[in-house]
Amino acid sequence: MAERKRRFLGCSLPVLIIILIVVLALLIIGFLSGGIGQKLLEKYEINLNLPSWLIAESPAPHLPASTLFHVFGLPITNTIIAGWITIVFLVLVSWLITRRMQLVPRRPQAVFEFALGWIFDFCVSVAGKENGRKFFPVVCTIFLFVIFNAWLSLIPGFASILIHIHGHEYELLRGANTDVNTPLAIAFVSFIFVAYYGLTTIKLKWVGQYFNFGPFFHSIGNIFKGKFNFMDILSGVVNAGVGLLELLSMFIRIISFTFRLFGNMTAGEILIMVAAFLLPLAISWAVYGLELLVGFIQALVFSGLTLAFASMAVTSHEEEAH
Amino acid sequence: MDPEAVKMLAAGLAIGLGAIGPGIGIGILGYGAMQGLARNPEARGPIMTNMLIAVAMAEAIGIYAFVIAIILAIL
Repeated sequence: MAERKRRFLGCSLPVLIIILIVVLALLIIGFLSGGIGQKLLEKYEINLNLPSWLIAESPAPHLPASTLFHVFGLPITNTIIAGWITIVFLVLVSWLITRRMQLVPRRPQAVFEFALGWIFDFCVSVAGKENGRKFFPVVCTIFLFVIFNAWLSLIPGFASILIHIHGHEYELLRGANTDVNTPLAIAFVSFIFVAYYGLTTIKLKWVGQYFNFGPFFHSIGNIFKGKFNFMDILSGVVNAGVGLLELLSMFIRIISFTFRLFGNMTAGEILIMVAAFLLPLAISWAVYGLELLVGFIQALVFSGLTLAFASMAVTSHEEEAH
Repeated sequence: MDPEAVKMLAAGLAIGLGAIGPGIGIGILGYGAMQGLARNPEARGPIMTNMLIAVAMAEAIGIYAFVIAIILAIL
């Protein structure tokens, strides 16, 4: 009878024990070198003499992106470089995968097709078949840029490469959406496309939604014709006010788009920084998982809201009422 | 009071008070989603996706408070 080895989690018992010991040792060393561990050691006056490279530095978050150098007078910040790396990465991956397209896709192509198909189905389910196809390029571009921006900045080493310029230390790369300008730019792109789709589909009606003075002037004109109707004037004023409020909300939307993405990405960065300082290794793994989810959800929210506003812009209010 | 102390106090209050609203909002969203799941377990996928999007919306309000707190604390 052949000897049957007992297996746990796909490893034989000794290997599993060794892995457990290594993980536990890493966790304990991480705990001792972190902020909480150091404070505890200080309190109980234990002197461990940990090497200085093990001790976590206290986090120093800074909001404005640092300018690294100037090109023709334009300041180039570390977030711009990270943004371009994202773009180059996306272009390169797309080119590599679609270089040899096959009818029966191989694995990378299948993954890509699945992801794009999922976004396409999302577009179609929100905006309908015809409009969904029209909005798909913009929505998908925003989705891919935001998600890969967030995910690439989670790669270990992304934010820890330092360069020295004029005696100061700067990070070479930093997630592009942690600079308020990048989300603002994407929000403007989204706004412009919504306006473009609205103007090309329902044309003047789209402008008319926001400058809705027609009923008001009509009711004023009726007074001179001798037909005074107070309710008409009132509803005219209300309609004009609602239109102006919607115009205002369209611009507030840009700000809310911007700060939602910027805040989430910055909060994630600071959360990782603080977690890596307080309890290195133990908590930062969980936080990394959370940040993967946050990056995905924020990409979905940004592109989904663009899609929702675009599909609202191409259906006028009069059609909705029917 | 020392201006620096007031600044830190303001930052703490901003995020602390600002987290109340989104907390309640996310609680209500989770409640609604759980009820929906209990009544119609087959609709798990769509309920989950929509709940996550709505939670992200509610969370964004807390994030605004967080941004204010950061600006107060470190700028």
